[in-house]
Amino acid sequence: MGVGDAVKNLVIRNLSKTYFDVYAGTQVTAVRDVSLNVPESEFISIVGPSGCGKSTILNMIAGFIPHSSGEILVGGKPVNGPGPDRGVVFQSFALFPWRTVLENVAFGPKMRGVGKVEREKIAHEFLALAKLSEAAGRYPNELSGGMQQRVGVARALANEPDVLLMDEPFASVDAQTRMTLQEELTRIWEAKRPTVIFITHDVAEAVFLANRVVALSKGKVLDEIEVDLPRPRVWDDLHENEQFKSLTARVLQLVRSA
Amino acid sequence: MKTFFLTIWSGYVRLTARWPSIGSIAPFIPLIAAWWIITELQIFPRVFLPGPVDVVRSFGTLVYTGILPEYLQDSMVRLVVGAFWGIVLGIPLGIFIGLSPRAHTVLWPPLLFFQAIGDIAWLPILVIWFGYGLTTMTVIIVYTVIFPVVLNTVLGVRSTSITLHRAALSLGASRARLLWEVVLPGALPNIITGLRNGLGYGWRALIATEIIVGTSGIGFLMFDARRGGSLVEVLLGMIILGILWYIVDAWILAPLERATGQRWGLVTQ
Ligand SMILES: Nc1ncnc2c1ncn2[C@@H]1O[C@H](COP(=O)(O)OP(=O)(O)OP(=O)(O)O)[C@@H](O)[C@H]1O
Ligand SMILES: [Mg+2]
Repeated sequence: MGVGDAVKNLVIRNLSKTYFDVYAGTQVTAVRDVSLNVPESEFISIVGPSGCGKSTILNMIAGFIPHSSGEILVGGKPVNGPGPDRGVVFQSFALFPWRTVLENVAFGPKMRGVGKVEREKIAHEFLALAKLSEAAGRYPNELSGGMQQRVGVARALANEPDVLLMDEPFASVDAQTRMTLQEELTRIWEAKRPTVIFITHDVAEAVFLANRVVALSKGKVLDEIEVDLPRPRVWDDLHENEQFKSLTARVLQLVRSA
Repeated sequence: MKTFFLTIWSGYVRLTARWPSIGSIAPFIPLIAAWWIITELQIFPRVFLPGPVDVVRSFGTLVYTGILPEYLQDSMVRLVVGAFWGIVLGIPLGIFIGLSPRAHTVLWPPLLFFQAIGDIAWLPILVIWFGYGLTTMTVIIVYTVIFPVVLNTVLGVRSTSITLHRAALSLGASRARLLWEVVLPGALPNIITGLRNGLGYGWRALIATEIIVGTSGIGFLMFDARRGGSLVEVLLGMIILGILWYIVDAWILAPLERATGQRWGLVTQ
């Protein structure tokens, strides 16, 4: 929880996950021998086709499911169950329907024992960052999908996690909204510089957002590609950018060849 | 002609929107009028079907002598006590079964079995165990209230998405906080539905029990009146039952149900 000088990095060593399929009675290896080093304030995207093990990796980092072998270290500490040092943004938003937008965003600080006045101040700050100030008093079901996910991002960030985990967060909104959300996420990342693991099957999205793209296939890391496109990144500039196009083509080829 | 009726209807709808109590009373006016006309025409002998005026007069007498307020209070207290224990026992049990797949596997079949036995079916054995009186009545009403509460709570707990649990845990909630912040509010609309059903069944079971084993209460009032051959009081009892339940359901339980489920978008209208 961003205490003192603790390093907010993520180290994964030889991580594997084998599921036991109760109905088929067989073992399924979803992730094999994945190693990854994410320094503090880096934004990495993990991209790969459906079923390649992306969610499994993220759920293990989040501590939602146990790993079969290997090591996950966040800020040097091994992961053991879910915790506030790893904020999660879900594809299905997962906002608390019985709490207002403001209360949703203030939830993390509330769990930490921050007083009402102080945590609402924090929540207002992050709502402003996500351009949602006017929705503070509304309930999640009164918002559009795009707005709900902005609340999801604000809620995770308001808790100041060491690492922000995002599993296809923009997959269930329309294309225009998705582009806006992607631009806003890069803007927020530049403002707060959290360490981010972003999962997607959309190659262009992966390249647009990240400093580094990790290509995954059948539970294994194929390659890692550095993305040194200038920031701030906006789609109007990047659409025609030759470097962006060639990077996207490279990642796409990598993912498709496997 | 059609527009004439529509105009009247729209006027009525607007009136009830402004004064909702008119909406709950007006539909009964034709009913009472029909009853009154039928009794005035002497289609049935008076002793078989007393009229509204007789019932109102008997209401006045029973209030004046203090019998009605006392019996009413007895019935209401029994309902409240039953509801209290039904909630206090039913909600935790439902949460436990809803959260633990093992408990669900083991307890669900017996739960359905005992629910099926039904309240009144227990009366013969309860009378032998506890005799005629308050204990038997309390057991019956708790028994009736508790099943809908438990079953609906289980449903509510199990229908809350696991990602909400995960979201709360990764925002720093402890297991205990999770119960209070996610499990309970997630199940609340179902819990209230269960309570609403449970109290509805419980109310009926209570009256039936009072008729059979009671020594006071609205059910007993009706039974006692029948013994004395006074249909006026039987009718009065029936009307009071209807009115009481209408008030509890339409003014307390239904708004509560709406306030939770619909506000949060958990239930669509
Ligand atoms: N609980 C489970 N039990 C058994 N097998 C599972 C389980 N969860 C995932 N798997 C298997 O593990 C593999 C990886 O699944 P995972 O959900 O991580 O993929 P993904 O990359 O996130 O896919 P998508 O893009 O569709 O979300 C799949 O073959 C899947 O069938
Ligand atoms: Mg997935």
